[in-house]
Amino acid sequence: MTLLDNKAIQISIKNLKDKLRHWQFLFFSLLLPIMFTVMFYFMLGNEEDPTGRTGFDYGFSGMIMYAVGIGTMNAAIMFAQDKKSGMLSRLDTMPTGRKNMFLGALISESLYLMLQILIMFIIGYAILGLYFVNPLALFIGFLITVVFGISSVGMGIMIASVSKTVEIANAFSLVVYMVLIFLSGSLMPFESPIVYFLPPYWAKQLFLQLTVMGDGFSDNLYSSSLIGQGAEAIPITLWGGFLIVCAFTIAFTLLGILLFQKKTKF
Amino acid sequence: MSEIEDSVMIEIKDLKKHFREVNAVDGVSIKIKKGELFSILGPNGAGKTTLVRMLTTVLTPTSGDAIIKGHSILKGKDEIVKIIGVCPQEITIYEVLRAEENVEFVASMHGISRKEAREKAKKLLEKFGIAGRKDWSKNFSGGMQRRLNLAMALVFDPEILFLDEPTAGLDPQARRLVWDFIQDLKKEDITIILMTHDMVEADSLSDRVAILDQGKVIALGTPTELKEKYGSDNVLEVSFFEQDDLEIAKKNLEQISFATNWKEISRKERNILLISFQGGLKILVQILQQGIINNINEVENMKFRQNSLEDVFLNLTGRRLRD
Repeated sequence: MTLLDNKAIQISIKNLKDKLRHWQFLFFSLLLPIMFTVMFYFMLGNEEDPTGRTGFDYGFSGMIMYAVGIGTMNAAIMFAQDKKSGMLSRLDTMPTGRKNMFLGALISESLYLMLQILIMFIIGYAILGLYFVNPLALFIGFLITVVFGISSVGMGIMIASVSKTVEIANAFSLVVYMVLIFLSGSLMPFESPIVYFLPPYWAKQLFLQLTVMGDGFSDNLYSSSLIGQGAEAIPITLWGGFLIVCAFTIAFTLLGILLFQKKTKF
Repeated sequence: MSEIEDSVMIEIKDLKKHFREVNAVDGVSIKIKKGELFSILGPNGAGKTTLVRMLTTVLTPTSGDAIIKGHSILKGKDEIVKIIGVCPQEITIYEVLRAEENVEFVASMHGISRKEAREKAKKLLEKFGIAGRKDWSKNFSGGMQRRLNLAMALVFDPEILFLDEPTAGLDPQARRLVWDFIQDLKKEDITIILMTHDMVEADSLSDRVAILDQGKVIALGTPTELKEKYGSDNVLEVSFFEQDDLEIAKKNLEQISFATNWKEISRKERNILLISFQGGLKILVQILQQGIINNINEVENMKFRQNSLEDVFLNLTGRRLRD
């Protein structure tokens, strides 16, 4: 037996094949964010501030969160589909174990969102030449994005738990995802206390301040998505922000798993 | 492990499942022997699927228990799922995986190495006539998908196989293929529990049959026992060109001891005599030997309609299986 024979790994391989063979899925999770990135680049890429950075250098962090946040929809649809098709019940009649099912899903979703981030990085930094402080900051930003992506998966599992059909899971997750992205100020600046309750704000703000502003973990976070006019420091450091992202991820993932178990064990 | 008789593979003890006001399974108790092909026959909504979902540990019973190879479905789920193969009623395959990928995936869930899984999947799919397909399973015909559904349940050589309506929606040729395959499995000493509402399927394949209606077992025995106990008489249908020939046959029947009853009917301007009798083909031959067609000019047609499990169900419930 090798690592590849592991049940969770086999489930994740199956999930990845499933994703990569659905063109609709690839369109929504890869092509759409790329299209938005290019569109925003042409809209905001020419407005330089005194430091020489463009509006899009600041806005790109939100684009990445937008791309990765689609994990909410992916997970919701995947789990709802298994539930509705009877595959979940069928897996329950095998010595698979729910532990391996969730672990396999988390592995596949993490790998897929890493692929999404890498593609976004290639488009943003290698092709469009966006500004970043240094490769280390970019790597830390990458890790923060992965952690945030897993919270999106947790949210998706929660939605799948309460959705009776795949269609409901699809629609419900789209609404939740859009609300999270817009109310967190990820795509457009949104100055409101609401943003502090939403994980994309924290992930986006950390990414922005680390990779574009060159801030360290002991610096304070800002209230605004576009650092500049109107942006105020808040009394939470980047470390604190990172812990909040981790807390959201742990809470959403655990809640998702517990809710799914509760709703699908009879 | 509970102490049960060696030959008993599954012992269902007063199993009940209630959904709010509905008693889906209402006190079922059955013993199923090792290597037996046991059918649970009943109309849609009789509780067959609920029963199989409890036996396969997916659904928790409201009360009662079932012991599967010494393990309780309430406490021994981890052991039970290692020895059971389940072919659900719905086609549950991964549509964008190829046939062999689906089968290999199930094998991997049973801890079979990838190399062994590949070999097993190849053999099994060849047997089912779906080997070598390189397209995704969603492009398969309904019959092929159903065969794949069944192959997925068999890849790890289960000791007990649950088949929930395995031939539903199949064309006659594909149905025959699945039946042949089930009969082959019987030779391998696998205990098979077949849920079906197809009386021909239950009759021709099963060692024993339990008839389930409204969550209760209303009859249990071999198909022959059930037909003898609850069924109607067998019927020999003879049609004649001439009414005179029919009258001669009626006179002949008075001398034939095996015929229990007969009646004359007219269908599409034909003169038909329906002769009822108890017993199987042997009795039929004896009726013919005793000279039912002596002195008759010509017989247009002769049909033998055997007493079926459909008759058993009809006589027990007053309804047809497909009602």
